Amino acid sequence: MSEREFVIPIGPQHPALKEPESFLFTVDGEVVVDVEPRIGYNHRGIEKAMESRNYIQNLYLTERVCGICSNAHQTAYTGAVEEVGGIEIPERAKYVRVFMQELERIHSHLLWLGVAAHEIGFDTMFYYVWRDREVVMDLLEEVSGNRCNYAMATVGGVRRDLPRDKYPKWHKMLDKLAERTNYYIKVASTEKTILERAVGVGYLGKEDMIRLSGSGPNARSSGVPCDIRKLTPYLIYDEIPFEQIVVDNGDVLGQVLVRTLEVVEAVKICKWVLDNIPEGEIAVKFNPLQRLPEGEAVYLVEAQRGELIHYTISDGRNMPYRHKIRAPTLGNIPSLVERLKGGYIADIPITIAGIDPCFSCTDRMAFYDEGKDKTWTWTEGELSRYRKEWYSR
Amino acid sequence: MSILTWARTHSPWLIHFNAGACNACDIEVVATLTPRFDVERFGALIKGSPRHADVMVVSGSVPRKIRDRLKRIYEQMPAPKFVVAVGSCAISGGVFQDCYNVMEGVDKIIPVDAYIPGCPPKPEAILDGVVKLLMSAGY
Amino acid sequence: MSIEEHIKIVEDLVKEFGEENIYNTKVPRAYRAFAHVKREKLRDIVRYLKEEHGFVHITTISGVDMRENYEVVYHLRSEGFSFSLKVPVPKDDPKVPSIVDIMNGAVLYEREVNDLLGVFPEGHPDPKRLILAYDWPEGVHPLRKEWDIQTIREKVDGKRWGKDVE
Repeated sequence: MSEREFVIPIGPQHPALKEPESFLFTVDGEVVVDVEPRIGYNHRGIEKAMESRNYIQNLYLTERVCGICSNAHQTAYTGAVEEVGGIEIPERAKYVRVFMQELERIHSHLLWLGVAAHEIGFDTMFYYVWRDREVVMDLLEEVSGNRCNYAMATVGGVRRDLPRDKYPKWHKMLDKLAERTNYYIKVASTEKTILERAVGVGYLGKEDMIRLSGSGPNARSSGVPCDIRKLTPYLIYDEIPFEQIVVDNGDVLGQVLVRTLEVVEAVKICKWVLDNIPEGEIAVKFNPLQRLPEGEAVYLVEAQRGELIHYTISDGRNMPYRHKIRAPTLGNIPSLVERLKGGYIADIPITIAGIDPCFSCTDRMAFYDEGKDKTWTWTEGELSRYRKEWYSR
Repeated sequence: MSILTWARTHSPWLIHFNAGACNACDIEVVATLTPRFDVERFGALIKGSPRHADVMVVSGSVPRKIRDRLKRIYEQMPAPKFVVAVGSCAISGGVFQDCYNVMEGVDKIIPVDAYIPGCPPKPEAILDGVVKLLMSAGY
Repeated sequence: MSIEEHIKIVEDLVKEFGEENIYNTKVPRAYRAFAHVKREKLRDIVRYLKEEHGFVHITTISGVDMRENYEVVYHLRSEGFSFSLKVPVPKDDPKVPSIVDIMNGAVLYEREVNDLLGVFPEGHPDPKRLILAYDWPEGVHPLRKEWDIQTIREKVDGKRWGKDVE
């Protein structure tokens, strides 16, 4: 098998949330034979920049690594720095951090559900889901003041408190979210059009997933129990009663089920936190000029897309010597490549969107058909039209 | 005003391009499509191809790898065309100033007509920016 | 698992391979361990951990520029226990053996370390550039401590620019 390499132009982005990224597909007729991902269009050099800023300034950089998982990055960063410095945060701060993290998980999974519905052509569900997602955006804005990039966590605790007189209103909003999500679970598991497009598409078995080191809902939809909140509990996750969602479908329907059921679990966790939060301080004093002792720490967090690691090394100054971040999607790319092989071209958008990438497919993909030895490029519009025709036969 | 001008200002077709952003500005741009903010009542549609678009909405601090793509997309749009820079990263690099891979600001690559600050700006602010651009376009 | 069981796993590894190949072991708390490992024994140690103790998951590979040499850190995980193996690499011979055939998930991490720090994975099936731009000059590895922002800009763009430069 020969492969001709050529640069694929990054075309205009599709309206539903895409990051710049490109793939090279080798096809044989209708079936995808090989995939090569090309990344790096979003590389801003954050790790190098963190070495010349102090620990409080780095909070603002880590938040903006990704706008959808920003709180997960902050949780991991503050956790790693506090572990190196031997700083103990008050109990109330841990509860507030868990509350923010679970709210962000709800917001991210509902966003994904709308995008996935759009990828299979079900635009009505896309609009319905994003309308209901506005409930959690309002809740986030009431708690923190912004819809994205909340800046709640700081080294030593949290910045803002949860005022007790708002809890009844928040309980009502969380109940509404759970009710709407249960409705979407019913739709996704019984509606024939969704099942046609989702069952058997992009299948990956349990052994392959373990071999390729996938993580997060991507791995749990193939039967691998890998929730970091259960395996190595951080903050107060060992005290909260919640379920780990694992299904063994292995295809796109499994991804839908895992994520929507996780939204229901996240609502339960938020309500538990509001009922059981203890009184107390919210932060320990931490000065930007304060030096940390020498040492290193590894901190693992269950972000919305998978397992997130922050590894920090300190050499005794008030700036990190080296801070390494590995976002979950980089670990899920090898399993994505396996999922795409053997599938149809028309299933490419939903398979890529199925792993909830923090980058997404480009507008124009180049195809090389080795049987007929011709190459052509398609735009996103042509791919969607092709997908509709292929499935209406 | 002539009928062409009336038609152009009442149906601006947008294309959204993510030039290395963290995604927060992008989900706010997509949120303007949703029923609460609803950009389509102003006649604006978000299209997939640059050859159909009047206004390009750019977000992100521009890393080196994507610089040529951005220029190519801009050149593929037919005149008259406008560029809106959304978010602090597209205006001046945002928090990523002094990072080795970042060209600070979209206006170092292509000419920009409107700037919408914020990190990220709310969907109402994005709508406000696009409407102000159309009113002052000199049509 | 408790911290005693984690300490036992580390001690068993040291007994199997000897103190000259694994040194500076640390278990700061439950679920975390660090150890320095000799470069020649890396593949055998990773294979042993995978087959005997269930370390089938690789979380990431980090490259660090400690000023007298480089260190490549392999973070392995088994059911919550995260074990970080640090491999010192001399600056005049920046190479490590690739572990892609033992841990398939490491294929992109080794390319990233090669791109940003300049440590070449020997035996990797496809060691191309991963993250930096295609017209980035050879030999400029941003994570090395000798390059700062203005030096990199001078090398890549041909001039120093920014708000600190006149």
